[in-house]
Amino acid sequence: MTSNLELPVFTNNSEAELGGKWGMVVDRDLCTGCQACVAACSMENNVPFVGETDMAYGRGMHWIRVERLWEGLEADYQEVKMTSYQPLMCQQCHNAPCEPVCPVYAAVHSMSEDINLQVYNRCVGTRYCANNCPYQARVFNWRDYTDYRPGNTADNDPSWSVLQNHLNPDVTVRRRGVMEKCTFCIQRIHKAEDTAKSEGRDVRDGEVVPACAQACPANAITFGRIDDPESMVSKAAETSRGSLLLEEMRTQPRVTYLAGGA
Amino acid sequence: MSESITMLAMFEDLDPTSEGIDKLYELGLGDDEMNVISGIPIKHTILGRPSAITYVSRIGMFGAILGMFLGLFFIYGIPYLYPLLVGGQPIYPVPQGIIITFEMTMLGLMGFSFIGMFVDSGFPSYTPKEYTPEISDGRVAILFSCPVADQKKFVDALTKAGAHSVEPAEARHL
Amino acid sequence: MAAIAKPLSRRHAEEHEDPREHLMHDPLPRGKMNEMVMEAMHETGWKFWVATGFLTLVVLGALVYAWYYLIMEGLGVAGVNRPVFWGIFLVNVVFWIGISHAGTFISAILRVLKVESRRPFTRAAELMTTFGLVQAGFSVFMHMGRVWLTYWMFPIPNERMLWPDFHSPLMWDLMAITTYLLSSTMYLFLPLIPDLAMARDRTEGGWRKTFYKILALGFRGTEGEWKNLTTAMNIFAFAIIPVMFSVHTIVSWDFAMASRPGWSSTVFGPYFVIGALHSGMAAVAIVLFLLRNTMKHYKYFIRPEHFDTIGMLMFMVSMAWAYFYFNDYIVPWYGGDVWAKLFQEWAEKGPHWYLWYIMLFCNIVVPWSILWNRKWRRTPWLLAIAGILINVGMWLERYIIIPEGLTINRMPFTWRVYVPGIEIALTIGLFALFFLLYMLASRLIPLIPVWEVQEGQEAHLIRKIGKAEISTLSDME
Repeated sequence: MTSNLELPVFTNNSEAELGGKWGMVVDRDLCTGCQACVAACSMENNVPFVGETDMAYGRGMHWIRVERLWEGLEADYQEVKMTSYQPLMCQQCHNAPCEPVCPVYAAVHSMSEDINLQVYNRCVGTRYCANNCPYQARVFNWRDYTDYRPGNTADNDPSWSVLQNHLNPDVTVRRRGVMEKCTFCIQRIHKAEDTAKSEGRDVRDGEVVPACAQACPANAITFGRIDDPESMVSKAAETSRGSLLLEEMRTQPRVTYLAGGA
Repeated sequence: MSESITMLAMFEDLDPTSEGIDKLYELGLGDDEMNVISGIPIKHTILGRPSAITYVSRIGMFGAILGMFLGLFFIYGIPYLYPLLVGGQPIYPVPQGIIITFEMTMLGLMGFSFIGMFVDSGFPSYTPKEYTPEISDGRVAILFSCPVADQKKFVDALTKAGAHSVEPAEARHL
Repeated sequence: MAAIAKPLSRRHAEEHEDPREHLMHDPLPRGKMNEMVMEAMHETGWKFWVATGFLTLVVLGALVYAWYYLIMEGLGVAGVNRPVFWGIFLVNVVFWIGISHAGTFISAILRVLKVESRRPFTRAAELMTTFGLVQAGFSVFMHMGRVWLTYWMFPIPNERMLWPDFHSPLMWDLMAITTYLLSSTMYLFLPLIPDLAMARDRTEGGWRKTFYKILALGFRGTEGEWKNLTTAMNIFAFAIIPVMFSVHTIVSWDFAMASRPGWSSTVFGPYFVIGALHSGMAAVAIVLFLLRNTMKHYKYFIRPEHFDTIGMLMFMVSMAWAYFYFNDYIVPWYGGDVWAKLFQEWAEKGPHWYLWYIMLFCNIVVPWSILWNRKWRRTPWLLAIAGILINVGMWLERYIIIPEGLTINRMPFTWRVYVPGIEIALTIGLFALFFLLYMLASRLIPLIPVWEVQEGQEAHLIRKIGKAEISTLSDME
C-alpha cells in the first residue's frame, strides 16, 4: 500500500496552486434564462422531482438554478429593471467552507480534479455544509423522492418501473437525509479521462461537456481545463468581463461569470 | 494475640465522640483499630484522628493524562492513519487540537476520579457489614476491635465518655 | 451639634428579620429531616398520577410517534428548507443545553464559593442538568437526516477505514456534550450516595429496598469513604466549571465558525454562556417553585431566602446578558457591513419583527422590573412567572439567531421564510419528557441532599454580639 501521506498539501493562500484542473465560465450576457440547463442537469444526475408544494417551499433539488434578480426601488416600478440571468451551481471552491464542517468526511476535497466531492453514503445529514455554503449551492433530500421502499418498487408495482427508466445508470440515486450538489458531471469527466487514457493521449479541450453546457442553446456555459492556458475556458475566464462570485470571501471558486458587454 | 471482638459505640454528639476516641487511644488501640462512621463528613481534627489517606486525586490525575493522550490521538493520530484534506485546512490543526485535548483531559480527570472513588472505597460491595441505620439519622458511631477479655473495660470507658450504647457489632446486610 | 445617626422613619424590613427564617438557623434533628424527605418521596396523591399519565401520553404521541414518523418520512415533514437548513431542532439543542448550565453553575460554582444557601437545592439543579442534556441530545438526533448512522460520528475503529473529522465544530460539540453529560451525571450521583444510603436504611423490603441497596453501593460513612467522596466531589466541583464554560462556547461555535452574516461573531462564546445561565437560572426558579408547592414538607427546605438568592443571580445574569447582547449588536451595527446590517434589520423589521421585541421585553424588561425588589424576589410565584417569561425570551433569542438568521444569506434569490412543521409537536414532547423524567425522579431519589443540609446546620451558629444576633459560620470542612 502506498502511503497516503505523500499527498500534496495545499494551503489557502498558495497562489501558485490556484490553477486546478477543471473549471467553468458562464456568460451572463448570453444566458436567456430558458432553464434548459436545469432540466438537463436533473436528467443527467437523477435529481428527483419534489412536487409543487415542496418546490414552492424552498425544497427544490436542482443542482443548478437560474437566478433572476431585479435592480431598483420597490416603490417605483418604473425604475425596476431586471439584471441578466445568473445560472448558479456549486462553485467548486478551492478553499471550500463546506468541507471542514462535516463531522464524517462526507464533504472532502478531490486532489486529482480539485473539486469538492460529496460522498452520499457517508452523509449523516447534519446539514452544516449547506449552512456554511455562501452560494447556497447545496440541496438536501428532505424526503425519499425516489422511493424504493417495499411496495413502491418495480418488483411490487409494475407501474413504478416506468418511472425508473429515466434514471441515469452512471449516477447513484440518493435517499432521504442526504446532502447533494453539483459535481461538474464528474461521471462525464471520468468517462473522457478513461477514453483518453485508453487511447494514450490527454483529454482534448471540449471533450468533456457537462449536461448544463451541452443543453445550453446560447452556448453561455463553457467547460474545460483551466490549468491549460490554451483551452477555451481559460481564455474566456481571462477577459476583463470576468468576475468571481463573492470573491471577497476567499473561497477561490472554479466558476467565472462574464457580464457587462464586450 | 488473643481473640478480639468488634464493637460499635453510638454517640449523640461530636464532643463525646472525640472524648471516646481519646479513651480508646489511652486503652492502647492504634489508628487502624478503630473507625468513625457518621452521617455527615467530620473533619478529622475535630475527632483527633489522623487524616484518612485517599488516592482519588492521584487516580484522577492519571485519568487526566490518559485522557489527554486519547485527545491527542483523536486529533493527530486519526488524520495520520486516514489523511483526508478538507477546505484548505491543515491535516494536523493546532486550534482544534486544543479543544479536543481539553475535553478529553477533563473527561479523563472526572471519569477516573469517579472510578477512583469506587476503587478506593471498595464500592460497590454488598457483603454484610457492621452498621446500624441510626447512623444515617445523625448519630456518630465508633467502630473498634478489642480483645474479648478487655471488653468490659472498653465498654465502661466509652459509656463514661458519653456513649449512648456500646454493643458488639454484628455484620448484617445493609 | 454632633453627628447623630438619625433613625429612618420607616424601618427596613431586614432589621426585623428573625435569623430562624434561614434554613441553616432553623435546624431539625437529622432523623426528622430524613423522615420528611422520605415521606415526600413516598406519599403520592392522585394528582401526581394524573399528571404523570397525561405527560406519558404527550411523550408517546408528540415525541415517540412524531419522531418515528419523522425518521420514516424524512425531514420533509419538518419545516426546514433551503436556506433554513437548521430549524427549531437546533433552537431546542441550544435551549436545553442552556437549561442544563444552571445545575452546574449552582452546584459547582456556589459550592466552590461556599455560598451556604445553595445547600437544599443543589440536587434539584443538578437533576435539571442531566435531564436537560438528555433533551438536548434527543434534539440533535432529531435534527440529523440519517439518525440511524449516528455511530459514524463516534471515534471507534471500524471497517469503513473512516474516522470522524475533528476539523468539524460538530465533532467538538459531540466531544464536549458527551464529556458534560457523563461528568454531570457522575457529579449528580456522588453527593447522592449518602442520601441513597439513608433511603436504604429507612426502607423495609420491597423493590425500593433493592433499588436503594444497589445504588447506595454499600456506603456506610466511614472516615475513608467520606474522605474519598469529598475529595472526588471537590475535584468535580472545580473541573466541571471550565467544562461547563467550554460546552456552551462550543455550541456557540457551531454558529460562530460558519461564515454567515450575523453568526460569524467573536463574542458569541461568552454571549451564549451567559444566555445559557440566563435561561438556566430562570428554570431553577420554576423548578424550585414547583417543588416547594407540590412536594410535602418541602416548604421547610426551600424558603423565600433561596428564591432571594436565585433572584439576585437572575438579576445579575440578565444584566450581563444585556451587556453581551448589546456588544453583539453594536459592533456590526457600527461597522455597517452590508450583510450584518441586513441581518439586524431582518430581525427588527422583518416579517417576524415582534419576536425581537418580545425577546427584549422578556429578557430585560421583566427581570429588571421585578428582581430589583427584595420583597418581590422572595415571592416564589412571582419569581416563577419571571422565570417562565425569561425562558420564553431566551427560546426566542435562539429562534431569532437560528431560523430567522438563516433566512438571510448572501444569495438573495434563495431567501425563504421558515414555517415550523412537526418540530412544534416534538418541542412539546421534549418539554413533557423533561417534566415526566423530573416527576419520576422525585419519587425515586431524595431531591434534598439531607446530609448537606445537616452539615450546613451544624456549621452555622447564632452568636450574640452586643445587642444583635449575628449569623456565624464555622469552617467544619
